[in-house]
Amino acid sequence: MATSSVFLVNVAGQIETGEFQEFDDLYCKYCFVYGPDWLITSGLEESISQITKKSEDERQLFCWNFPLDVTFKSTNPYGWPQLVVHVYGLDVFGVDTIRGYGVTHVPITPGRHKRIIPVFVPESSSTLQKLTSWFLSNRPEFVDPRVVAQGEGREVTRVRSQGFVSVSFNVVMKDMKKLGYDVLPSDLSTVNVPENVGVQQGRVSEA
Amino acid sequence: MAEIHVIGQIVGATGFPEHSLFCKWGIHTGGAWKILAGLREGQTQVDNPQNHQAAYFSHPIDIHFATKGLQGWPKIHFQVWHQDSFGRNELYGYGFCHVPTSPGIHNIECPTWRPCGTFREQVSQSFLGGGPQLKNPDMIYSGADRYQLRTIAMGKIHLQLGIILRNFDKYGIEC
Repeated sequence: MATSSVFLVNVAGQIETGEFQEFDDLYCKYCFVYGPDWLITSGLEESISQITKKSEDERQLFCWNFPLDVTFKSTNPYGWPQLVVHVYGLDVFGVDTIRGYGVTHVPITPGRHKRIIPVFVPESSSTLQKLTSWFLSNRPEFVDPRVVAQGEGREVTRVRSQGFVSVSFNVVMKDMKKLGYDVLPSDLSTVNVPENVGVQQGRVSEA
Repeated sequence: MAEIHVIGQIVGATGFPEHSLFCKWGIHTGGAWKILAGLREGQTQVDNPQNHQAAYFSHPIDIHFATKGLQGWPKIHFQVWHQDSFGRNELYGYGFCHVPTSPGIHNIECPTWRPCGTFREQVSQSFLGGGPQLKNPDMIYSGADRYQLRTIAMGKIHLQLGIILRNFDKYGIEC
């Protein structure tokens, strides 16, 4: 029997809420960026959410409650998937403009995780450009949003961070331990269950 | 060979006197370590926050090491720089921290410091910017010769690193 060298990572989560002080009517798009050894076996790699308005109370939150449900297959943790979130909104002239890019790694330990991701937009290089981009609704944006998931080439970008997006992940893994990968410290990862817990003589035990 | 994956982000920086910061980072290891995949150094974007105090870099780190020994466990070192509206860069701090040794997700705050000059240099620094820098950046993460430096504390760098280890238990290492 051939031994498989593949492990699976299942991510079930949601893009919960956003916090942006100056904007309204926002929607978010997400995509997963991963290395060459990774493959998505099920689920949507990218998607667009609904358009939401700011809440009218003092919290001033945007709520998307947008599900993420995807399973990855890989042979190598290098290139671990990252979630890239890009938030768009309507400006004064009714044109779709970028309100922020944010990125975070899918958590590497199984369980429930909540992440608050800062989002940022590229800045114009001069005040005149800022003015013309406001008039023409042509604000600077990245040609490919996946660039925020890369480490190279970031040093030439000047950005302005202007909000947060809150995402929660539930991560389940298969066969990481079989392949020798430890994602949890050794005192947490082995659970010893006493042998006769829950077993009753002659009857089906009730949970 | 035992392997380590460091998968995480340089989240941002807080506590620095001005906004518009960027961070140069690098990882230094001992001789027994080898990088199998990933970049060992880089530079983040320049962030100028709009509404809040912290500068956010969200810079991904994804490195795969292989090692034959424990000596020289990887250290990640930083230089935080400030870029003003004219594009001039000024050093704001040096710092380093070890990559965590236990698997899992770690939130790390790395304190930073800046070399401090004489009183005259400090006055001129407050008017003109600039200020002393280390000639040899190895001193950021090495302890030899540090006694010659006088420094002042600056802000903190926040990291979120996930560590995956492989085959360490086969060699009897407990972590």
